[in-house]
Parts: sequence; structure tokens; C-alpha cells
Amino acid sequence: MKKSFYVMLSWASIIVLFFSSCSKTEIPGTSPTAGYTKITEGYATGAAAKVEVYTTAPVIYTGYTNLYIALYDSVSGSRIENANIQLTPMMDMGSMQHSSPFENPASAQAVNHLFPCSVVFLMPSAAGNWSVSVAVWVNGKWGSFSFPVTVTDPVKSTLKSFTALNNGTKYFVALINPMQPHVGINDMEIAIYKKESMMSYPAENGFTVLMEPEMPAMGHGSPNNVNPVAIGNGHYKGKVNFTMTGLWQVNLDFMMGADLADDTQFFEIEF
Amino acid sequence: MMKRFIQIVILLMIVVNSRAQNKNAGLLKDSNRVVILDEVTVISKQNIPQRRLVNFFKANNASTLEDILSRLPELSLTRRGAYGMDPAIRSFNGGQINVLVDGMRIHGACTDKMDPVTIYIEPVNLETLELQTAANGFSSGASIGGTINMKIAEPDYLNNKKVTGIFSSGYQTAAKSFYESLRLNYADGKWAFRGSVTYRKNSNYRSGGGEKINFSQYEKINYSLSVKYLQGNYNSIRADVLMDDGWNIGYPALPMDVGYAGARIGSLSFVHENRQKHLAKFQLKGYANQVHHYMDDTHRPHVAMHMDMPGVSKTIGLYSEAEININKKQSLLLRADASSTFLKASMTMYQPGQLPMYMLTWPNNKKNQFGISSSWLWQIDSSMKWQLNARVDYIRAALTSEEAKNQAGIFDYQQASKNNILKNGSVQFTKKINNTIKTNASIAYTERVPTASERYGFYLFNSNDGYDYIGNPYLLPEKALQAEISASYSPARNRVQLSVFYSRIHHYISSVTEANVSTMTIGANGVKTYRNIPHAFISGLEASCFLKPLQKFDFVSTLRYTYAKDYKDEPLPGIAPLKNVSSIRYQPNKIFYQVETEMAAAQNRFQVSAGEDKTKSYTLWHVRLGLNSILFKKNIEIQTGMENVFDKNYHEHLDWGNIARPGRNAYLQIKMMF
Repeated sequence: MKKSFYVMLSWASIIVLFFSSCSKTEIPGTSPTAGYTKITEGYATGAAAKVEVYTTAPVIYTGYTNLYIALYDSVSGSRIENANIQLTPMMDMGSMQHSSPFENPASAQAVNHLFPCSVVFLMPSAAGNWSVSVAVWVNGKWGSFSFPVTVTDPVKSTLKSFTALNNGTKYFVALINPMQPHVGINDMEIAIYKKESMMSYPAENGFTVLMEPEMPAMGHGSPNNVNPVAIGNGHYKGKVNFTMTGLWQVNLDFMMGADLADDTQFFEIEF
Repeated sequence: MMKRFIQIVILLMIVVNSRAQNKNAGLLKDSNRVVILDEVTVISKQNIPQRRLVNFFKANNASTLEDILSRLPELSLTRRGAYGMDPAIRSFNGGQINVLVDGMRIHGACTDKMDPVTIYIEPVNLETLELQTAANGFSSGASIGGTINMKIAEPDYLNNKKVTGIFSSGYQTAAKSFYESLRLNYADGKWAFRGSVTYRKNSNYRSGGGEKINFSQYEKINYSLSVKYLQGNYNSIRADVLMDDGWNIGYPALPMDVGYAGARIGSLSFVHENRQKHLAKFQLKGYANQVHHYMDDTHRPHVAMHMDMPGVSKTIGLYSEAEININKKQSLLLRADASSTFLKASMTMYQPGQLPMYMLTWPNNKKNQFGISSSWLWQIDSSMKWQLNARVDYIRAALTSEEAKNQAGIFDYQQASKNNILKNGSVQFTKKINNTIKTNASIAYTERVPTASERYGFYLFNSNDGYDYIGNPYLLPEKALQAEISASYSPARNRVQLSVFYSRIHHYISSVTEANVSTMTIGANGVKTYRNIPHAFISGLEASCFLKPLQKFDFVSTLRYTYAKDYKDEPLPGIAPLKNVSSIRYQPNKIFYQVETEMAAAQNRFQVSAGEDKTKSYTLWHVRLGLNSILFKKNIEIQTGMENVFDKNYHEHLDWGNIARPGRNAYLQIKMMF
């Protein structure tokens, strides 16, 4: 509370100092959702909150999808900067339902007025209907908003799965970065989830990942790559180097301790 | 192959001064070789002993510049195709030497050295070719190996309000090659104009024994225009434009040819010259040039993947030179120069159904250079003189685009900009022992910066050793200590000369295999990068003689030998073996007859890791015949001859891929002066 007080105080002083004439509007060009696409909005009724959901791209693809939730007080219209949010993605395939891996906002405090979170959509909407339910707690009040999502398969898949050789468990591997690959050093980030049940996909931090990029058309690789290593929440970060544009295949081997879990997976990255 | 036009223009085997027109500079440049390329100017500028040599080597207008370079004992040429040979001075090559056009810097635009800048210059463009070794080799640019300066011909004022010119035409059988050249000069009062056009077309040549060498063809056209304006008695202004376009240039030793290679060279100079004053000469020249180069694999069979490889080089620069006569015995030559060279080359490969694969092979980079140099000459008495040369350069090399930096970042080379201060200095002492014997000794300390390829090259494929090369921006400059001694003995109309040199190069830039890096080029043997090795040695000798045993006979012979090794006593790559070229000429009247031999010893000292192997010795015989006459009131010169008379199948040690050189070649050339 003390921190938020200071944040508010500093914001207030900035507004007073520089934008006193337009204190109700946001600074032009610095809207927190600039560049994002609003995919839906609605009300989490019990929490008296309006929910807006943004993504970074207009089309949602199978795989790791960042969502940004903006909350407003449904009466005053002012932004809600502090709330607990709980996602529940669900795929309804008619005969059966399953959830998918997701990440709730890391903190109850909004980041740049938004609550970043993510869902790993495991399949395209062609197989059934995706929905995401957003449960919101604001000032002790609870409400929920659910919205449908249309998911399509990307040209190059960013989601892989394998059944581990060492324990028979199914894992999903989602490519997070590089999203805008370029010639040079790229951040490499993947997230790994374990399929515990149809409704539970916890993050898996226990793998050692070996990575080798390859240009299949020419049969060469690239030097000085850094294998992704677990950084928590199932995320693994490393560096992948592309020496030229074109179609690259980033090969991944997954080890659990000394045991090989899988060595057949790769992501295709073309730019 | 181009040895076939052997009548080179001139080969000055003497170590003496060159520009008779310019007495002081002549004194200053004691260790220069100057090859005069233009008969007309030769006569007015040469002193008497040189004129004899000039008369011996009558100009052959069909010679390419490479032919002429190949005749100089100090020079060797690395050959990848019938054209585009890379010159080396005493086995120093690439970034170790300066190749200048009229003092101007110009950089080839090919990452694979397919376009040494000498290919963009035709002999008809030139007045002289200055070759400076060791002690004098750095005065116009920091260099450990020396300088080749191609001086562009000036318009002359000999015939006022009259168009004069020379038309030359030639044909050779080995490559079915045509050569046509026209040169015009016009003067009107203070104005003078000189223009030239040269066209060459060569087909695939036949090697000794009759085999046709595919992808050895080339075609090119060269234009030049110079305008000179005299202002008062002492000042002149000159503008030069030179354009050279080559296309369909084959490189049998490489996996690709050249679709197009073109250069645009322009300069504007101001010259003040008054020999009576302390400031005897002052020159200021501004210049700009641009080279475009496109490699082409569309004519090659079995190309694994089509690729485009364009490259561009752009240079702008300025230099100023002053000759100061301090007193009767001392003079000073000062020079300041600055230049900026931009290079970019890329490669795009096409795999059907996929996005194009694009990368920078020379990531955008720039080299900015600023240098000052001075030469101080002290003529102690008529038999002794000292010369001191010094030069300091500030050189900055950097990657210039975000794209280039990102790409270099893969090898952790984001901090790829480098500043270097280079210091070059030499002392030279000349002593005339008596009227026939003259000696000269010099020592020099020299430095050079790594080239763009050595610093920033990105998977540059070398087809000689089959490795992809990656640059290393952290290379240190090469530093060399050199010593040279020469002596000449010239009784009566004969002359014999011997030069011995020794260089110890510190931080010699060599290559090393990077076992952990995967190749880029399909089929490459591996990846190499550059690194400094502690030191290397290059030493050798050049000998020449000019003898006149009988009144109508002339005998000219040159010999060179180079020995080189690295700090582990391993041979250095690119070292040509012992070579001798000898000519004897009989000229009873207007017709001359000439027989020549060209002999090279076997080279058993080679570097296996550089893709070299043993090269066999060979001997070639050439015969020539020339006629000067007046036809229809025009001065006509006809030359014919046959090179490699015995159709020897051979290649030189520096020829990549051991591709055989041309076999028997008959030629006919006609030159008409009007």
C-alpha cells in the first residue's frame, strides 16, 4: 500500500505539473495499449469491473499467447490498478472438454495499467470452441467474465508436444521468442508444461534443453548459441543465432537428469 | 596466360630515378621502379640510358595491365581466372600493399578478390606505373609491402588545334580475343583534352595440349576522358573521369563467375609547379570512385543453389602533395591525405518454396583514414645521399549499420570499431662508388591495418583451400622491419643490378581453423578465422641485366626469388618460385626479331593448409617480330609473334585450382598513329 501510495503520489505530481489541463485523458501516444488489439470487452458483474482483453496481434494462433487485461471501475470508469485475476481457458470439443496451460498475472498490481497474462492454446478452434474465463477480485468483491476465442494454426507451428521416453508423461513445448527473428543474436525463449490431467498443465522446470539451429536447405548451423535454461514458471531462456534470413530449424533435445526425454522436436522459424 | 603479349611496354630494371621532368622527385625516389606506358611521353621524359630500355620494350598496346605487371620481377600475380589477377609485391599482397590510381585509393567490390583494382584500368589510361618497395612504399599510404601507383595519362599540348591519336587493333588465337583501342588528344590554347576507348573480348582459351578451359572468357570496355586547363605559367587544373565495365568474366578456378564488374572513377586536381621557387610543386586532388561487382552462377552446371552476390565499394578522398627545395642539397616532399571507404557485399540464396536466404558477406563497414608523410632528401655530395621517410596514419574502421552490427554480434563482435595509429619510417643511403658502381641500402619500419575481409568478412568462401573465412575485428596491425641492399654495375652500354631484401613481419595475419563453427557454403571443408601469429619472414632477391653484346643485339634478363616462412618455420602461402625471363632482340633496320624464354623453377615450399600443392617447373619460348613503317602518310606499327611456341601445358604456383594457362598463341597487332 505504501508503495502504491508513492506511485500514486508521483503520478499525481506529474499530472499536476505537466498535464493539469487534461488530467482525465492519457498522454497521447503513450497509451498502455498502443499497438495492441482489443479482442473483447465485458463486465465482471459481481466485481463492478469492466474487463477489456488485448493481444499483441489481431489473430490468435495455436501456442503461447500473451493477453493484456485492462480493468475499469464500471461505475466511475476509472482504471483499476490493483486486482487479482484468475484465468480458466477451456476447449469444448463437444464430447469432451479440456483446459490448457496458462499464466495468471504475476502480481495483483497492474504493470503500466494492464494485467499481463498468457494462455497456451493447444489446438485451433477448428477442433471445437475455445473460451477463456477471467475471474476478478477487486476490493474483496468477486466477478467473472468469459469470452470465446478463435484460434488458428500458424504457418509454422510454435507449439510442440512429446511423450517423454523416461517417464511416459506428455509435455507441451511453446515457443515464445524469437517472435521477430533477425539476422544476429536472438533471444530464445520456450515454455514447457506437463500434462497432469485434462484440466491441469503445470509448468515444468526440470528439463535440460539442448538446442541446435540448422538451415535445412544448406545443411549448416550457426555458432555461439546458448542453450535455453529454466528460469522458473516453466520458462527457459537462451540465445539463438541466425547467420542469414531464410528458413531455420531450431532442433531441441530434452533431458531430465541423465535421461533423454525427447530428441525429435524442432521449431521452424522463417524470416 | 596473358604472358602472351610479351612486348611490354617498358620495364625499367634500373633503380634510378624516373621522372626526368621532375628532377627533385626523381632524386627522392631512388628505389622506385617506374614503368612508362606511353611511348610519346617516354621520349620527352626519359634520360638516355632509360631510353635505350624504352626502345627495347616497344609498347604493345594489346597488353593488359596484368601482362605488364607480370613482367616486373618484383611482382607476382595470384590468378583465379584469365582476368582479374591479384598483384603482389615481393609476395606481399592484399592489404599489405597499396594499389593506387593516380594517388587515389580505390577498393575492389568483390569479397573474393575477383576484382583487384588493376582490372579497372587499361594501359591506355596510364602514363606511368610506379612501383615502390619497402623504404618508399608507404609514402602515399601505410603499407608493409609497397605501393603500385597507376598514374593516369594527362592530355598533352604538343599539337595545337589538331586532333592526334592512336588506333590499335589486335587478335590472338588462344582465346580468340579481340582488342580495339582508340585514343584521341586535342589541345586548344590553354585547354587540352584526352579521351580513350578500349574494348576487349576473349573467348574461352585453349591451354597447352589443346584442352579448352571453360569459364575463362571475358569482355570489357573502358572509357576515359581528361581535361586540362593551364592557368598562367605555373598553374593547371585537371579533371579526369574513368569508367570501366566488364561483363561475363569467367573464373575457372572459382565456383562462380562475374556477371558485371564496373568502376567509376573521377578526380579534380590543381597543380602549381615552379621549379625556380622553394615550393617547386604543389598539388591538391579531390576524388571519388565507386565499384559495383555482381557474381553470377547462372552459366555453371550443377549449381546446388542459385545465389546472387553483389558488392559495392565507395571511396571519397583528398590529398595534397608539396615538393620543397630547401637548398641545393636538400629537398622535402610532404603529403597529407584523407579518405573514406565504404564497403558492403551480400549474398542471397534461393531455395524454391522458401523465403530467400540473405546475409551480409561484408557487413556495411567504413574505413576512414587520415595520414601525413614526409620525405627528406639530403644530397651530401655527388656520390652520397641520404633519404628519410616518415608517415603517420590515423585509421578508423567501423561497422556502420544496425543490421551489420547485429550480424557481427553472432561472433561477439558488436564492439567492432577500431582506431589505429600507424607509424611508418625508413632511412635510405645511396653511394656511388665510382662511375659504374652504385649501391643503395635502406631499412624501414612499417605497419598496416587488417583489411575489411580480415576484420568483418562473414563466411567468405576461399575455393583454393575450400574454407569459409570469418573476420576478426580484434586483429592487431601487422608490423614489419625491412632491410634492402641493392647494387648496380653499369659499364658502357650494359647494366647489371642486384637487390636483396629481408622482411620480418610481426603480428603476421594468418588463418586458423575454427573446428566448432559449422560451414555455411555447401561442400566447404570447414571454417577458418584470422589471427595474428607472432612473426613471419619474407626475403628474396631480384636481379636484372641489360646487355648490348653487339651493335644490333639487345639482351634483357630478369630473375627473382623469394623465400618465406612463419615463426614455426612453415612456408608461407602465395610465394612464387624462382623465375627468369630473358629476351634477345636483333634489330637490323625497321624490323625487329625477338626470342624470349620464361622459366620458372618448381615450387616445393608450399602451405598445404592454404590449399597449395607442389608446382612443376616449366620453360616457355616466345618469338616476336615487329615492323615500323609509314603507310598512307601514317605511322604504322605491326607486331606479330607466337607465345608458348611449344604448346607447353603448365600453370604457375600462384594459379588457383592448378588451371592450365594458355597454350600456343599467335597474335597480330596493328597500331596506327595519326
